[in-house]
Order: sequence, then structure tokens, then C-alpha cells
Amino acid sequence: MQTFHSIGTTTDWVVMVVYFIAIMLFGSYFSRYTKNTSDFFFGGRRFSWWLITMSIVATGVGSHSFVKYSAKGFEHGISSTMTYLNDWFFIAFFMFGWLPIIVYSKIRSIPEYFEKRFSPSSRFLATILLLLYMIGYIGIGFLTLGKAVIPMLPSAFMLLGMTIPVTLMGAIIVIAIITGIYITYGGQTAVIFTDLLQGFILLFAGLLLFFFGITYLGGFDIFWDLLPTEWKLPMADFNQPSSFNFVGIFWQDAIAGSIGFLFMNQGLIMRFMACKNVNEGRKAAAINILFVLPISAIVVGNAGWIGKAISITSPDIISPAVSPDQIFVVVANIIASPGMFGFIMAALTAALMSTVDTLINATAAIYINDVHRPIRRFLQKSFSSVAETERKELLAARYASIVVTILGVLAVLAFKNFPTVYEAHGFFHSTLTPPLVVGIFLGVFWKRFTASAVITTFVGGVALMILGARFPGILIAPFDHGIEMNAVHPYSYIRALYNTLVCSGVAVGATLTTRWQISLISRIRAKANAKTIMNIMVGVAILLFTTVMFGVFGMSTQVIAALGVIVLLPLTVTYFVHYDEEANTLGLTASSITIARKQFKGSEPNDAESKTVLVHWKLTESDESFMRFSKREMSEMKAHPGDLVYISDKRAWLGGLKSAHSVYGEPHAEDGIVYLTPDLVEAGLLVKGRELRAEKEM
Amino acid sequence: MDLFSHSWLPFIYLYGLGGILFVAGILITLKAGSFDLRRSSHKKWMWILLFGFVWYLTMHALMTWAALGTISPYTVLYTLLIMVVIFVIVTLRFKKIVGAG
Repeated sequence: MQTFHSIGTTTDWVVMVVYFIAIMLFGSYFSRYTKNTSDFFFGGRRFSWWLITMSIVATGVGSHSFVKYSAKGFEHGISSTMTYLNDWFFIAFFMFGWLPIIVYSKIRSIPEYFEKRFSPSSRFLATILLLLYMIGYIGIGFLTLGKAVIPMLPSAFMLLGMTIPVTLMGAIIVIAIITGIYITYGGQTAVIFTDLLQGFILLFAGLLLFFFGITYLGGFDIFWDLLPTEWKLPMADFNQPSSFNFVGIFWQDAIAGSIGFLFMNQGLIMRFMACKNVNEGRKAAAINILFVLPISAIVVGNAGWIGKAISITSPDIISPAVSPDQIFVVVANIIASPGMFGFIMAALTAALMSTVDTLINATAAIYINDVHRPIRRFLQKSFSSVAETERKELLAARYASIVVTILGVLAVLAFKNFPTVYEAHGFFHSTLTPPLVVGIFLGVFWKRFTASAVITTFVGGVALMILGARFPGILIAPFDHGIEMNAVHPYSYIRALYNTLVCSGVAVGATLTTRWQISLISRIRAKANAKTIMNIMVGVAILLFTTVMFGVFGMSTQVIAALGVIVLLPLTVTYFVHYDEEANTLGLTASSITIARKQFKGSEPNDAESKTVLVHWKLTESDESFMRFSKREMSEMKAHPGDLVYISDKRAWLGGLKSAHSVYGEPHAEDGIVYLTPDLVEAGLLVKGRELRAEKEM
Repeated sequence: MDLFSHSWLPFIYLYGLGGILFVAGILITLKAGSFDLRRSSHKKWMWILLFGFVWYLTMHALMTWAALGTISPYTVLYTLLIMVVIFVIVTLRFKKIVGAG
């Protein structure tokens, strides 16, 4: 396979450095809006849909990067767009299930949902799985970044008379240091605004590259006619080759990946939580999936298609043997002029950094919410004031960002031996998402799904997944749809089907047998030595799981051990964990969103259709943070004292940066004026003399 | 060359199985009450959801026909642009959504 080094000119490097400095200054400007952990992680729940949509572009495009889709575009053609065009199927579940629940239940992280919906022990397991997922995702991001910059670097450089070779891991470590510095001093508002800018730049750079490529080839018709029919088809062959086939990628991406991305990607969820309300989150999701993703599919894959066309007409310029992961850089260098190539590369690497930034920020949020605070509560440690707590937590969040960055670099080692980033990412998604995806999905949409069932899904499902990974030819093969098994990387994609099925099977089985579990445990409780019996049961379950984990004995024994775990675990959880179906599902399932809204507001929601009004603000000294409007404006907004209200600077292009949420107070008689307390003015970053737009939230 | 396994078979699988999941999503959220068509803002969402499904189905079908040489790639572009215009017009005819929804 042909690989490249030292691509690009000095001009390109100058452009890249200038771009990075500009982006970091831009981010630093918005980091001043980070006042507490809520701002650091969630941006203060204030932004408009369009701002979030564009900031998601940089995160989404960065993670589903130029590198990996150009590689598949070069190898297989327009079917590289497949994974960008299959995210609509779960959108109703997301918009009317998960999104309102995460907003209205005021959870700060996915594991917190597991504690509220199930039990603290479920939260503990979900935290472990989610941290593994997030750190793995960061690892994939770093790997992609490394592969993107390596072709631009020399194969070695001299320092103090020594020749130092440029390696993939070396490049990744340097990138990680730069990324870590930025995120540590930025925060979510800085990330959102940086991503907004980069979202536009990325789409522009990618479409510009496509335009240059088409011009280079002599026009669209020539480009189209050059591609073989198989390269023009929008989907891959049903079940071959093993490295890129439709059915495997359907289960890995359209099912596990889509649910994983929408339901358990903490970085993405934090973006939706930064929206001013649920409806704005829905709009952001809809516009992003409907219109931005198809454009992004062209943006990230076209270098591969252009590369393929050039390799047909001029194999001396681009050899068909070029390393697929380097094709983006090679094509960009050929068709873009010096300086422009630097700009495209800067946009690419900056976008990848955005993805990694978002993930690091999100993982730090999980650490603070699901590790730091519970430990502090456990140790019964409290600080002297809220301000002191905030300061300590912000510091801890910044340290956590550094540690997560280091772990992300180490995670690269697990993926760097895959032939392409695409396959590494596919394997990663297929392996790590199913248990959590099943846990969240059934938790939200199935009231009967219990704490014992979710814990059994996490542990028993993982046990069966380990067996699938160890014996793919026997356990995954029945689901392979005719895909040939690659001996080195068996069933990178279709394993998602097996993993999802076994996790779902365990979940459903454990839920449907709840009554038997309770009955059996009641009988055990009646015995004098109940606790001893249950402790023995826990010990046996641990022993059986260890048997599976370390592959002791043959396959049959391991399968029996896994089944033993699945039978014993729900019983032990039923005995040791308190779970009340009514209390634990209230406001936390799709069927109780009305209650969730009521809990969120603190009283019955007011859904009367209303208008927005424009007002000027005046300060009022009051102990309570109400917003007081005139009677006329309250009437136009169909609002009553106690309803929730949102005000924002009238300038829509600010996207809600200067805005605040509060509660309507008693009305006054001064039309066109809203009275605000100083803390609301400070929280909303409101500017004196600027007109405000007000709307009733509920 | 038989391209069925590379063209229409994936299409049928994607929109057959994907369609079942999509419809299930709508039905489950309707049954749960979180998606409530008595609210005008949710009627608008129903239109957007259905449009989205048809949008992607049409996009993939047209791209497949274009690849097989049945239609020109420009027809794909023009048809999708017309669909965007229809989407914008119909969506704007619904009342503007104010509030949390």
C-alpha cells in the first residue's frame, strides 16, 4: 500500500497555524461566558435550534470524518454516504421519548437517568459502560486526527543532532496536548460557538473541494461517466465484502449507531440540552438529519470519489494502491492550490478536534456528575458555600478533562491495527453500544422493564457478547446474512445484530420473569438463613462471570456459565435492590411525559397557544427571581403568574447567547416593560437598553 | 451483471425493516401520549416525520435509478430541490410553534 509524507508547502502550514490561532481566540472569547459547571457542561439551556444544528455539524462531521468516508468513497464509491442517510428511523423515539425525558427530568447525565429510573447500582454499571464508550470514541477521534496529519508531516526530523521518526502515536500525543489545553480552558459555550463557526467552514471547505475536483476532471458529466456503475450506487452490496457490506453496516450503524448517537452520546445530548426548550431541540435534530446530513455526506466522501475518478484516468497521479485513509489528503493536495490546501486541512483537523473536544467535555461531565458528586455525597463532604462547591467542581472538571484526554490517547492502541478508521469505528460501535442502547431504549419505552432486568442486561448481555467475540464462527455466524467471516477481524459490523439480540433477549427474559423472581425471593426471605443463601448466590454469579470473562474451560461450559449469570443475577438484584415500579417510572418513561412536564414546571403546564412579545427591561430589587410583565403582555402570551417564561435579546442572530429562563411574577400596569432582578440580568448576560423578546415556555 | 444485491435488495431491506421501526416509533409515542396529535404543534411534527421518511426513500430510489442509468443525475437534484420547496411551503403553513411543545 502506497503511503505519503511531507505533503503540502510552507504556505499551507502558515495558513493552518493562522487558522488554529483564530479558532482558539474565537473559543477563548466565548469561554468568558462560562461561570459555573452548568455553563461549562450545558451552556446554560439557552440556545436556538439553528445554532445547535450548525454546532452539531462540526461534531457529527468530525466524528464521521473526512478521513474514513473518503477512504470508503475511494474503495467503494457513493455508497460511502450510506451511514449518513439512515438516521431517520428512530427520530420519533428520540423527539417524543428520550429528548423530553432528559430535559424535563433535569438529569445531567445518562447514568443519572439509570439511578432515577432503576437504582444506584444500575447507575454505577451504566457509568462504567458509558465511560468506556466515550473514551473509546475519543480514541477513535485521536486515531483519525493522527491519520489525517501524518501525510503532511515528514517521515522524520532532526532535533539536537538526533533523528526522531514521526510516528502515528507521536503525532496523536502532540494533538492530544493541544486539544486538552483548549477544552480545559473553554467549556461548553466556547465549544458550541467554535463548532458553529467550524460547521460553516467545514461545509464550505468540503463543497469547495468537490467543486475543485469536478473542475479538475473536466466537469460533472465526465466525472459521472468515469465511475463504474457499482461506484455510483448509493448502498453497498448486500453482504460482501466483509470489510464493507450493506447488511452489516445497517445493523452496526442504522440500528446500534443511530440509537447510540441519538440516545447515549453524552456530547450530542448536551448539545440538545443546551437548546432553550424541547421544541428547539426537536427542530435542531430534524433539520440536522433531514438536510445537513445529506450535504455532509457529500462533503466528507467526495474526495474519495474524485480520487477514484482520477485513479481511472491518471493512475500515475493517483495510484489505485494509495492507502485509503490517506486519500483525502492526497486528493486535496492535487486539486487545491497551495494555501487553499492548508485551509482545507486546517478545517478538517479543527473539525476533528471539535469532535474530540465535545467528547472530552462530555466525559468530564459524566465524571463530575456520576463519580465525583456521588463520592462526595458518600464521604458526606460539603464545602462552605455554593460558590466554593462550584469552584472546586470546575477545577475537578478541568483535571478530569486532562485525565480523559490521556485515556483517550491510550484507547488508540485498541483500534490502530484495523485496516481503516471506518472498520475500527464500526467494530467499536458494534461492540460497546448494544447493552446501554437496550437499557436506555427499554427503560424509556417499557414501563415493566425493571432494575433487575437492566442490571442483568448489562452483566449477562456483556457475558454473551464476550462469548460471541470469542466464538464468532459458532455464535455470530447464524446471524451473518451470508457475510464471509474475516479471520483477523471477524464480523466487524454484523456482530451488532448478535450483540443487540442477546442484550434484548436477556432484557425481555429478565423482565417477563419478574413475578417468578419476586415469588422465589419471597420464599427465600422467609428462611432464617436468607442472607447466607443470597450471599452464596452472589459469589456463584461472580465466579460464573469470571469463568466467561477469562475463557476458562471450553465453549459449552462458558455458555452454561453465562446462562447461570443470567438466571442468578436478577434474583440477587431483586433481593438486594429496592425497586418500586410506580415511583421509579414516574416522569421517566414515554408514557409519563405529561407528569415529567408537570414536575419540571412545579405545577400544571399551560399549553395555551401564545405569541411572543417585545419589551424593554428595568431592574427591580426583589428576593425572588420572577419576571414581571404588564397585564396586556401577559394576556398576549396567555400566561399566568407561576408559568415558565424565556426572554432573549431581540437580535435573533445571537442565537440565545443573551437570554434567561424564569417564572412569571404578578403583572404590573407598565406596558412594554419587564422588571428583572439583578441576578437574572447577570445570568442572561443582558445588555442595558437592548430590547428583549419574551415567550411563554409552559 | 446482476446488480440486484447491490441496488434494490439493500433498498428493500433498509426501508422494509427501517420502515417498520419508523412506524413503530410513531405508534409507540402516540400510544404513550408523549406525541399528541390534538396539539397543533405536534400535527406539524407528524408532517415533518412523514416527509422525512418519504424524503430519504425518494432520495435513495432516485440515486439508485441514476446509478443504473435509468434517469439522469440532474433529475435527482431537481426532484430533491422541488421536495425541499414543498417542505418549506407546507411547514410554513402550520402555525409557528411558541413554547416548549
